[in-house]
Amino acid sequence: MMKTSTLAALVASLSLSLAAVPAQAGAVLDRVLVAKTLKVATDANWAPQSFVNDKNEMDGFDIDVAKEIGKHLGVSVEFVTPGWDIITAGKWQGRWDMHVGSMTPTKARAEIFDFPAVYYYTPAAVAVHKDNKAEKLSDLEGKVVGVTATSTFEAYANQDLTLDAAGAPPFTYDFKAGEVKSYANSTTAFDDLRLGDGTRLDAVVSTLPSILDAEKAGYPIKQLGKPVFFEPLAVAVEHGDKELSEKIAEAVKAMQADGTLSKLSVKWYGVDYTVTQ
Amino acid sequence: MSEKIIDVRNVSKWYGAFRVLTDVNLTVEKGERIVICGPSGSGKSTLIRCFNRLEAHQEGDIVVNGIPLHDKMRNVGEVRKNVGMVFQHFNLFPHMTVLMNCMVGPMWIKGVSQAEARKTALKFLERVRIPEQADKYPVQLSGGQQQRVAIARSLCMQPAVMLFDEPTSALDPEMVSEVLDTMTGLARDGMTMVCVTHEMAFARAVADRVIFMNAGQIVEQGKPDEFFGNPQHERTKLFLSQILKH
Amino acid sequence: MLYPDTVESEVLVHKPWFVAVMFAAIFALFLAFDLTGTSMGELMRPVIGEPLESGLYGRFAIAFVIAVLFCLNIVLIGFASLRVQITIVWLELLLLFLAFFKTFNLSLPFMAEKLPFLITQGLFTTIYVSAISIVIASCIAILGAVAKLSTNGFAYAIASFYTSFFRGLPLLMQVYLIYLGLPQLGFIIDAVPAGILALSLCYGAYMTEIFRSGIQSIDRGQWEASRSIGFGFGITMRKIILPQALPVIIPPTGNQFISMLKDSSLVSVIGVWELMFLARTLGQKSFQHMEMLISAAMLYWGVSICLELIQSRIERHYARSKVR
Repeated sequence: MMKTSTLAALVASLSLSLAAVPAQAGAVLDRVLVAKTLKVATDANWAPQSFVNDKNEMDGFDIDVAKEIGKHLGVSVEFVTPGWDIITAGKWQGRWDMHVGSMTPTKARAEIFDFPAVYYYTPAAVAVHKDNKAEKLSDLEGKVVGVTATSTFEAYANQDLTLDAAGAPPFTYDFKAGEVKSYANSTTAFDDLRLGDGTRLDAVVSTLPSILDAEKAGYPIKQLGKPVFFEPLAVAVEHGDKELSEKIAEAVKAMQADGTLSKLSVKWYGVDYTVTQ
Repeated sequence: MSEKIIDVRNVSKWYGAFRVLTDVNLTVEKGERIVICGPSGSGKSTLIRCFNRLEAHQEGDIVVNGIPLHDKMRNVGEVRKNVGMVFQHFNLFPHMTVLMNCMVGPMWIKGVSQAEARKTALKFLERVRIPEQADKYPVQLSGGQQQRVAIARSLCMQPAVMLFDEPTSALDPEMVSEVLDTMTGLARDGMTMVCVTHEMAFARAVADRVIFMNAGQIVEQGKPDEFFGNPQHERTKLFLSQILKH
Repeated sequence: MLYPDTVESEVLVHKPWFVAVMFAAIFALFLAFDLTGTSMGELMRPVIGEPLESGLYGRFAIAFVIAVLFCLNIVLIGFASLRVQITIVWLELLLLFLAFFKTFNLSLPFMAEKLPFLITQGLFTTIYVSAISIVIASCIAILGAVAKLSTNGFAYAIASFYTSFFRGLPLLMQVYLIYLGLPQLGFIIDAVPAGILALSLCYGAYMTEIFRSGIQSIDRGQWEASRSIGFGFGITMRKIILPQALPVIIPPTGNQFISMLKDSSLVSVIGVWELMFLARTLGQKSFQHMEMLISAAMLYWGVSICLELIQSRIERHYARSKVR
């Protein structure tokens, strides 16, 4: 699946070379208010942030946050689930209006997107197989590490991570991976890790919640050490519509103020991730 | 005053740099039966394939049934309607029954109703004496039967002239006569015919005129008696001596 | 089936040397794996005692039993008639597959619960995307084949550029190019139409070549006969050439249909909720994606089998005019 992201990057850069279609100020918000629907792009494979539940509907923390934002704007919310690399490539062309999918507001992404509001922080952690003898993170020096392609975990594993968003706590690199294997999603990485200690992977860098979930589901894996960094996660919209950004910021601020956001975090994670620990 | 069905004037044809027909002149009158013979590669098949423009000529004029042949599709289509052709390898449509093979021409070209096309088809199948095979597919018939169907298929278009391009060359010996008999019957009924064939007995019995071609040219022509009895040209004598040796 | 020889040869699986070779091969193969820890070891407990402690003797015994069973199986099947042989071998392979799936410890209730949604949303989308694409691809293919066979330089150039380009790029890249690239030209196209367009263009290119070779396989005499009757190009093509080319075209086209069905999964990358997308998504939360993948696999296979049956039916229909 490395191919997918390279491909998307190639196509995106190809697209950039062509003339861009500028968005009118306020145009997106106007469209949303007229259509009475907010189209939200998100991942369908990112439990518990966003996933397809037993009723075959989108559900999860990100989904609930998006719905709250919609409620604040007084419109209904509709979800679309294009691939992550297609979302992050930008050039949404009005196919969707907003992305609520736990995106880290890096500087590179800020060139394409506005990040009106950070709505929670995810601790990123390292998972190893149950049988792994490592005691601390530095024991993973030179090992094979699995990550999601084009994610901050990949950047961390490659020691190439810049958390330049406001409110991101500082972090250190505790080990240098021998080889970084990129996957389409974290579950595939966990699947490779479960095959055995060192069979395909020695460790996976992912969010702490998803590691704990996998463990709960019976994967023979465990968390190693403390969280390696806290990733601020934000709502993303394309440049060019200040009004929409302000409305979203306002909505998230309101949710923080009345405790809705914390409540949702506790509902989905059992912990309040909306503040850094 | 007799009527010219095919009028060929000063026709030449090249395949690339190779000249296959050189300055050919020939007229076929209504009701006339002509046999063209000659060694292989002499251009006799090419010549009759020019008559319905399966091949294009580069020089000279060919007028068929009063219509000049050139690369205008309208004229070509009109000529092909009036010229029936029977091929060495039958070329029946294998995905249609014998009856359908005979019906499609009138139906799709002349817009004849299905019932009428069927009547015509059965009439001509009767004439070539295989009406009982009407519902079979071509592969189920013998070579001789297939060739007779091919003749019936052409007749269904009620052409002004029939062209035969070595109709018996691909047949087993015992089937040659059934096809020749059919052709003789046609000749008796007054059909205008141009036949490329090596069947000299047929030529002698049926033809009004025999034409001998060599190297893209008409070398000699005449009534069968003169042609076979007293050939003028050396090349003709050689050819006849070879073909009539057995 | 090949054209069979009339010489009655002895059944291969009844020749002692063949049975001996098979026995040796199977025996060696299973000796190489340690199966004492599996259910096979449990089965052999009365003979080898505690499976995990039986060591080399256990492995030897298990491999021996498997090899004997296998050889007995092929020798016995050798006595049956052709039809029975085929049925038995199919069933045996199917059983082996089921046994393989069983090792995943699949949750059947979960599969049963998700199956309706997999079918109504996933399979439905997969089938309608493929069906529309196939129709469009076939139309493109006929036009492309005629253009590729024409003497018009313009038509030939366009058709050959088209087939070269779309056969030369990975389908996944075409999906991306159309979904992300077309909006740059002002055509903002949704995920499903983008997927259909990509599939149609890609398969149209492959099928153009199939149709072209099919048309070319028809004897020149058919064209001449058709022309000599006076048929124009349209009738000749539609009524004389294509019907005869179809038996040549259909087997590879059936192949294309089946692979199209599966390649339609590539449009899941642009967020179309078709079978593959759901297979990867539905079991995610509860980490039961193996269940979903296998369910989807069975659905794909089922539809493929239907297509295979339809194909063989059509082939039989066209074989009609070839029967002596």
